[in-house]
Amino acid sequence: MAGPWWRQCPRLTTGCTATNILENLWHLKGRPVSSSASASLLSRASCISRPETRPPTGAQINMKAGNFLIRHQSRLLLPTLQSCCCRATHSDTKPKDPFTLAQKDLTSLYDDIKKELFVSKVELKSLCEYYFDGKGKAIRPMIVVLMARALNIHSNRAGDLLPGQRAIAMISEMIHTASLVHDDVIDGSDKRRGKRTINEVWGEKKAILAGDFILSAASMALARIGNITVVKVLSQVIEDLVRGEFMQLGSKENENERFKHYLEKTFKKTASLIANSCKAVSILVNSDPEVHEIAYQYGKNVGIAFQLVDDVLDFTSGASQLGKPAAADLKLGLATGPVLFACQQFPELHAMIMRRFASKGDVDRAWQYVLQSNGVQQTNYLAQHYCKEAIRQISRLRPSPERDALIRLTEMVLTRDK
Amino acid sequence: MFSPSWSRLSCVALSSRGGLRTLSLFSSSGSSNWSKVVSDAEKIVGYPTSFMSLRCLLSDELSNVAMHLRKLVGTQHPLLNTARGFVYDSKNNLQMRGLVVLLLSKAAGPSHTASDLLAQDMVSGIYPSQRNLAEITELIHTAFLVHRGIVNLKEWTVSDGPLKDMQFGNKMAVLSGDFLLANACTGLAQLNNTKVVELISSAIGDLVQGIYYENSHNTEENGLTDGVDVAAWEEQTFLSHGALLAKSCQAAMELAKHDKESQRLAYKYGKHLSLGHKLNSDLQPFVKSRAGEPLSFSLSAAPVVFHRQIIGRETWHHQLQQAKTLRNQLDYSKLLAAVKSEKGVSTAMDLCCYHGNKALEAIQAFPSSEARSALENIASAVTKF
Repeated sequence: MAGPWWRQCPRLTTGCTATNILENLWHLKGRPVSSSASASLLSRASCISRPETRPPTGAQINMKAGNFLIRHQSRLLLPTLQSCCCRATHSDTKPKDPFTLAQKDLTSLYDDIKKELFVSKVELKSLCEYYFDGKGKAIRPMIVVLMARALNIHSNRAGDLLPGQRAIAMISEMIHTASLVHDDVIDGSDKRRGKRTINEVWGEKKAILAGDFILSAASMALARIGNITVVKVLSQVIEDLVRGEFMQLGSKENENERFKHYLEKTFKKTASLIANSCKAVSILVNSDPEVHEIAYQYGKNVGIAFQLVDDVLDFTSGASQLGKPAAADLKLGLATGPVLFACQQFPELHAMIMRRFASKGDVDRAWQYVLQSNGVQQTNYLAQHYCKEAIRQISRLRPSPERDALIRLTEMVLTRDK
Repeated sequence: MFSPSWSRLSCVALSSRGGLRTLSLFSSSGSSNWSKVVSDAEKIVGYPTSFMSLRCLLSDELSNVAMHLRKLVGTQHPLLNTARGFVYDSKNNLQMRGLVVLLLSKAAGPSHTASDLLAQDMVSGIYPSQRNLAEITELIHTAFLVHRGIVNLKEWTVSDGPLKDMQFGNKMAVLSGDFLLANACTGLAQLNNTKVVELISSAIGDLVQGIYYENSHNTEENGLTDGVDVAAWEEQTFLSHGALLAKSCQAAMELAKHDKESQRLAYKYGKHLSLGHKLNSDLQPFVKSRAGEPLSFSLSAAPVVFHRQIIGRETWHHQLQQAKTLRNQLDYSKLLAAVKSEKGVSTAMDLCCYHGNKALEAIQAFPSSEARSALENIASAVTKF
């Protein structure tokens, strides 16, 4: 049972069996299967009946991942990931850069958002538009339009994006931004994307109202698509975002639970939006729940990988690159992947995690422990693991430039440095 | 004290419907009267609206908040008071909006056009979706009660309590408000009607705009700016206090597939009732002399706003100066006398009756029923002082 994967993470296996951790890593609690969106690999296996598409059990996946990880010790080697696991499923032509490919569908993104944010009060309007200045990466809308096009081709529907799909791309960015505005108040942040935050400039009360307004505008645009299933899927995101934020308030005493808690939080705070937006665009073009599930699983896995890398960058990236101070998470009392892995090598971290790095010198000491450990490396491995699953999922769609760009995107998620 | 035009209007209102029940209801006065109207009305709709709200209040998330709230005791963070309101609130009628939505649903009756709506699903003459809507309306209202109480930390002073606690209070307020709103969003989606989702989402937008205005208005409390006129006051108050109820009433008709005209009338009832209700509560300090209670009122209360507009900026500024005590605090009884000496109070009273009557008028098109009578009683009650 204990394959090479476990030797990579020696501390991971202490105190519990391999299968336990495995389940912790994979068994994120999902939605009921009825609408086909279970986040659990294992339960999904039982609801998809075609034997040839039946995914391997969790153990098999991890064995494979272990083999893979033995061969590739650094995330910089990842470009080979693509060719090593998808050779059989997609063409040899070099996939186009996702940003370039999505560009044509995103040119009017911010103008469209500003139209949705119409309000006569000048100051409220400028607050709401503050982060839609074209300087964000707009990575969520990009994934959504690429996914929509890949799904349209998969569903034999040629031509342009559906209006509803375009709207979902826009709504995904609006929901994301609304939650950023509230997060900045909750965390007391004064800088974001190199700018002063809304709460820093206009005060906390107006910032909260601006976030609420963006959310209401997003919700109206969502309703106007006119598809109640799509409304349900994206409303779930809003609930997940808040529940994820609540999960950040507490620390778990038990190490196993802590990791599970961390991944579940990561799903709710980051991956749910991407997963459900992908699912929503699939609902508009295809009635097959299996296709919805592919879109959802791709989004979920890429989303978790994205956040894991983000958590790594909090330790490895300079303050100037990320647009926010380094070790921001530690300062907020949050123990992310690198710390949780490091804690297995340096049990001294346990007490600090429990007191949320609140004692004097905790942040510096924790920082040192993490850098001395292989926590960063292991978090990167985990991110690779999720990306590999994302690729496996998306590869089930019919080949298209957009599908291949989504595969390429997983690699970019892992190699980004800001 | 009562202006002649007000008593004339209210007499017209009462005699137009007559009825012993109505008269006996209003024999007492003040908030006990209001409470009676509300508790009578609650019996008509079967059970009160607090189920979804209760589910939220009892969730892990909000229990967590409640536990943390203890840290705020002793500080001036507004979240404390809002939270107290969840537990006991007889005066502000936390559930009033939900109740009105239920009564209107019942007054409008079963749908005659929609085949997918079954009369046997109704409980006490109300569709389940309408009950859910009533609860969503309450959730949204409560969410904004909480978000209204976010404190600007740059304005923090020592008397508020430790800065760290105020930051924490804000964090709890943001999270719990967001939690209620998120539950409202998922609840809305479950109503299976995208028109209703759009309508209620737009009401959330209205509410934000109204509260945002309220904010900038309050910072002008130094009295250096002009008062707004009645029309501007109505427009702003509609956003902050009327849009949610008006649109929820309309949505309740849409859920039962009632026609556009019923939707329009329901909207109208909700709108005028809210404005009348707001005027009534703004007027309370000016019509009641509660012995023993410290007198205080908001400078953005309708009678004051109208007063400022009537007497002009300079006179108002002068009156404010005269009402200042040695320690630079406001002597409210002095200011009250100044406001009472002019037409601000009577303007507000006339306006209150006007809106109460408009609400009554809107409800007349619905067939006569117990639920309709209750709605009439509520509309009449807001014109009583």
